[in-house]
Amino acid sequence: MLSEIFVEPFADMVAAPDFLMQVLWEGLVSGILYALIALGFVLIYRSSRIFNFAQGIMVVFAALTLVGLHEAGVPAWVSVVLTLGVMFVLAVVVERVVLRPLVGQPDIILFMATIGITLFLIGFGEIIFGGENKVMITQELGIPTDSVVFEPFGGLLILEQKDITAAGIAALLVIGLLLFLNKTRMGRAIRALGDDHQAAMSVGISLQTIWVLVWFIAGIIALVTGIAWGARAGVSFALEVIAYKALPVLMLGGLESISGAIVGGLMIGMLEKLFEIYWGQPLLGGNTETWFAFMLALVVLLFRPQGLFGERIIERV
Amino acid sequence: MNVHLQEDLSKHTLRADDGIAKGADLLKVENISLSFGGVKAITDISFDIKKGEIRAIIGPNGAGKTSMLNVINGFYFPQQGTITFRGEKRRRARASETARDGIARTFQNIALFKGMSTLDNIMTGRITLQKRSLLWHALWKGPAEREEIEHREAVERIIDFLEIEHIRKTPVGRLPYGLQKRVELGRALAADPALLLLDEPMAGMNLEEKADMSRFILDVNQQYGTTIALIEHDMGVVMDLSDRVVVLDYGKKIGDGTPDEVRNNPDVIDAYLGVPH
Ligand SMILES: Nc1ncnc2c1ncn2[C@@H]1O[C@H](COP(=O)(O)OP(=O)(O)OP(=O)(O)O)[C@@H](O)[C@H]1O
Ligand SMILES: [Mg+2]
Repeated sequence: MLSEIFVEPFADMVAAPDFLMQVLWEGLVSGILYALIALGFVLIYRSSRIFNFAQGIMVVFAALTLVGLHEAGVPAWVSVVLTLGVMFVLAVVVERVVLRPLVGQPDIILFMATIGITLFLIGFGEIIFGGENKVMITQELGIPTDSVVFEPFGGLLILEQKDITAAGIAALLVIGLLLFLNKTRMGRAIRALGDDHQAAMSVGISLQTIWVLVWFIAGIIALVTGIAWGARAGVSFALEVIAYKALPVLMLGGLESISGAIVGGLMIGMLEKLFEIYWGQPLLGGNTETWFAFMLALVVLLFRPQGLFGERIIERV
Repeated sequence: MNVHLQEDLSKHTLRADDGIAKGADLLKVENISLSFGGVKAITDISFDIKKGEIRAIIGPNGAGKTSMLNVINGFYFPQQGTITFRGEKRRRARASETARDGIARTFQNIALFKGMSTLDNIMTGRITLQKRSLLWHALWKGPAEREEIEHREAVERIIDFLEIEHIRKTPVGRLPYGLQKRVELGRALAADPALLLLDEPMAGMNLEEKADMSRFILDVNQQYGTTIALIEHDMGVVMDLSDRVVVLDYGKKIGDGTPDEVRNNPDVIDAYLGVPH
């Protein structure tokens, strides 16, 4: 038994390094998407102390809008642009109708308001797009669906082109966001607001503008993950679960840490895949990906309550 | 220096230079009342701040001094009264708007951007003056580059002036208290404010630090002509620095005048000696 846990999995990894690479690659693709979604949570949390429960449904809503527009005869790329427009309008409406009137309310009220947004988007989405599953317009968007085959260590490594595309676009978006946050005036404003609200307002940063901005960024992230995940799993309300995958990432990386979201996302994506293949399937009957990340996060928090990347928490007395 | 550059410079610097004559009203506060639920923080207070002066606001703990600053910079909206800044009357202006109009401030409990270095904190003070972003600079040299250089120079001047070159790159969270207060002043100065609001800039400092801070405040006022409203508990400092003093107690104004007048005002003396009301 002990050998099955502590020896054999590692022996397998060494014996078939090409397969190990395959597993890591698939974990990496998920990991980048987790990191992206976690970034959406972090940006909204830092600038408004709101845990955005609606992030998951935003992914569904963006994907449904995209596919729905295309079904209505709009060319694929025009649909993408229009969907971005819809996500922007959503950001403006959320700021006007939900955030602005509730400013100063306790955090839990704001959190519940995002549950309200979720319920609204579910209802609204069903009325407009219907409840049945759809297929992501992968080919129409020019995303290739072939595979690329490598032969490392004399073995076999198969990379799906749509995974490469998804990982590439998500990675570009993450890098773009980092550049935006660090190299632009608005990005600096977002970081400043995350550090100290009063100070940020006192130098002329407008809460309202930043809120619209971070919700729009969350909308862009929703669309990209919606396309990427939808290309693998189809477009339905079940797409929502991708957002819940970001929760353990946030537990690990902290709700306020941008680098925590990125590193945490990549780590969880790869570790959960490794665990599933080398321990979960042989020993536990598989399907461990649904809970492994939460377990990992809980175990880490047991030893490091501040999360992996948080500053040490020092109690003030 | 070519004409465009000259224009650029005059556009960005010296918001303080706004056509209001020295000694004329820069800010006028009229009949302000502010309460929180049942607590009356400010009751019917009026006073003015003249361009170019250092105006102290003093009073015992809980007198309503910080609340008054919060009303002036738009953190609080008073239930009654009006504020006229540079001749324009406003009822409700948000803090981000008053900042863009040229009101900068520091806080009684330091409020810095903890995740950033000294340099970035001060740079962020210029955020409303910056038109183009750094990313844009990377893509398009030329006008953007000139603007960037100009902002950098302004920030470096402030860093020199406050004698904090040695901590330019230090994350502000690691700085000792006295230096944090100095960085906060730097961030406020970076906006080229027409009116600078300082809430207890010397609280918790030792004598030497207080002397430094006093010197900076005087220099800002004299070299750049910046108008300053100063809340301070140390009477020595107030008497030395300020041109005029307004005294609050329990949310009401009980004195207004030059330091000497205020010092000899019986109501003020009572308030400070704790004579019961
Ligand atoms: N946001 C708020 N909510 C409720 N009450 C407040 C608020 N801000 C100030 N107050 C109350 O208003 C009154 C004036 O407070 P303020 O902070 O303006 O006094 P202060 O003169 O700055 O005192 P100190 O010298 O201690 O800083 C106090 O009774 C305070 O409790
Ligand atoms: Mg105060």
